[in-house]
Amino acid sequence: MKNKTLLISLFIVVAFMQLFVPAKMILTQESILKTGTAFKFKTTPIDPSDPFRGKYIDLNFEENKFKIQNKKDWVLNEDIYVLIENNNQGFAVIKDVVKEKPSSEINFIKAKVQYIQSYKTIKNITIEYPFQRFYMEESKAKEAENLHREALKNEYTTTYALVYLKNGEAVLKNVFINNTPIQDAVMHHQNN
Amino acid sequence: MSLIKDLNELVEANIISEDIAGKIQAYYTKKENSSPNKLFIAFGILGALLIGLGIILIIAHNWDSLSKITKSVISFVPLVVGQLICAFVILKKNTNKTWIEASSVFLFFAVGASISLISQIYNIPGNIASYTITWMLLCLPIVYLMKANTIALLYIIGSTFYACELGYWNYPNITPYNYWFLLLLILPSYYFLYKKNPKSNFLIFYNWLIPISLVISLGTVTNNYSEIMFAAYLSLFGIFYLIGNSIYFKEQNLRNNSFLVISSIGSIGMLLSLSFSWYWDNLLKIEFQFNHLKDFTEIIATTILSIGALILLLKNFNKQFIKNSILLEFVFILFILSFFYGLKYSFSVIFINLIIFAIGILTIKKGEQKNHFGILNFGLLIITALVICRFFDTDLSFVIRGLLFVCVGIGFFITNYWMLKKRKANEK
Repeated sequence: MKNKTLLISLFIVVAFMQLFVPAKMILTQESILKTGTAFKFKTTPIDPSDPFRGKYIDLNFEENKFKIQNKKDWVLNEDIYVLIENNNQGFAVIKDVVKEKPSSEINFIKAKVQYIQSYKTIKNITIEYPFQRFYMEESKAKEAENLHREALKNEYTTTYALVYLKNGEAVLKNVFINNTPIQDAVMHHQNN
Repeated sequence: MSLIKDLNELVEANIISEDIAGKIQAYYTKKENSSPNKLFIAFGILGALLIGLGIILIIAHNWDSLSKITKSVISFVPLVVGQLICAFVILKKNTNKTWIEASSVFLFFAVGASISLISQIYNIPGNIASYTITWMLLCLPIVYLMKANTIALLYIIGSTFYACELGYWNYPNITPYNYWFLLLLILPSYYFLYKKNPKSNFLIFYNWLIPISLVISLGTVTNNYSEIMFAAYLSLFGIFYLIGNSIYFKEQNLRNNSFLVISSIGSIGMLLSLSFSWYWDNLLKIEFQFNHLKDFTEIIATTILSIGALILLLKNFNKQFIKNSILLEFVFILFILSFFYGLKYSFSVIFINLIIFAIGILTIKKGEQKNHFGILNFGLLIITALVICRFFDTDLSFVIRGLLFVCVGIGFFITNYWMLKKRKANEK
């Protein structure tokens, strides 16, 4: 009996941990969405799939390169901090890339070095943002990609991701095509 | 039923007494009751596995029409249900294997479903490797608390997937050091099962999965010098071979002696690939540079494994051991010696060919001594594989290659025929 009590107590601790991890994930994300700063990142989506988490559109950001002086100063896959500001049109641009964590008043994203290019005068790094995936309903992901491809042909169309930033952490809230949420745009397209 | 019928017949024929017949019947009845129905456990696990996977797939649809709060609440439902069933099993059904295995498998997938749905709702970054490691670690305690062996097996598979995802499929490759930590955490459950129930079917699965997982994941420590990893792999196979020849495994069927099968095939396969000159030509050209700590990972892995293999070898070393040896347990030492020699000279490739040939001959000899067709033909297969490999080397003339094939073919016929004859003579 004593053994059983111990076992069930330990099990309750484990069960609590199993509940705590997803709950903590929700709380962190909600806190960034509530108190973080919103930025619009211009993007070009495509649609792959994840066996466990379903269909998502992979986002490729226009603002993902940063000029460097020397290739040797950068290491592939290392952590970097990307300082973000808005341009005249209200879209996010890279202000600077640093290796030391900036103070929390500045808007920045903790990211990784995805690629280092150094050829003659072209010297830059490609940044891997932590919000390159946007999960969508199975039936809509493919449609979203098609819709976007059509939108690309039209120079007046802008696609962007709305991202909230807080102390280096980022939450991708939604993807918009001409200020319409991508889900609504797809639905509208499907209905027509 | 047929047992009772047979016993009655034996009693009537005065071969055994009624008393003994009663005892035999009681023994089998008790045995039947104490061992649970294996089929029932298997179906229980399969059912829970399918339901769990089904839930993950339903969740992966991404229900846009549901609000964020509804989706978040739903993601906790399978998890809480799984936890309640497991708590019930711990309290009321803790001796019923079917309940333990089925409920824990369901909980395992419920945990995975829950974290995947939350990542989906909030577009949480993170690749599949970080998702897998969180999932595995959250389920590991279930293995020990509920003595759920299926979870342990799923955990090994998950950990191996994690290692492959980071070490092989991810760009740029990252050495998954955490894999070794994950594997270490599951080993006590393997040991407990071996101590408590050495005849368990789950142990056979463990025996297969652990060495396979190690063989797959060892390659992920490679950073710059894959050439060194050949020594690490041969040492690992050396350890497996010695384990496969331990008393416990020798009593097992060959299909259950995973360590022996994996090590024999692995060592021979690796030696055959080393019997080509490309490896050794490459080795002569390499300039090893060790500047960073990560340049040493191959050397560290090789050192640990070869020392382990050497200790195990010395522990088993005696006259009988040498007499029964087919050289496979010494391969790692011979290779390491030829590796150092190969850094300067190109003779090593011939040496490797000679080793394979010697292993083939010794295996044939062992098969003949033990009167075992399987071992005999394995030896012949080794020689054949060696000949086929040399067939691809263009520097041998067609006549010599042709003659080699003919000789080996004749060898197959003669040895098998001779052994068959010997067996028949013995039977007479």
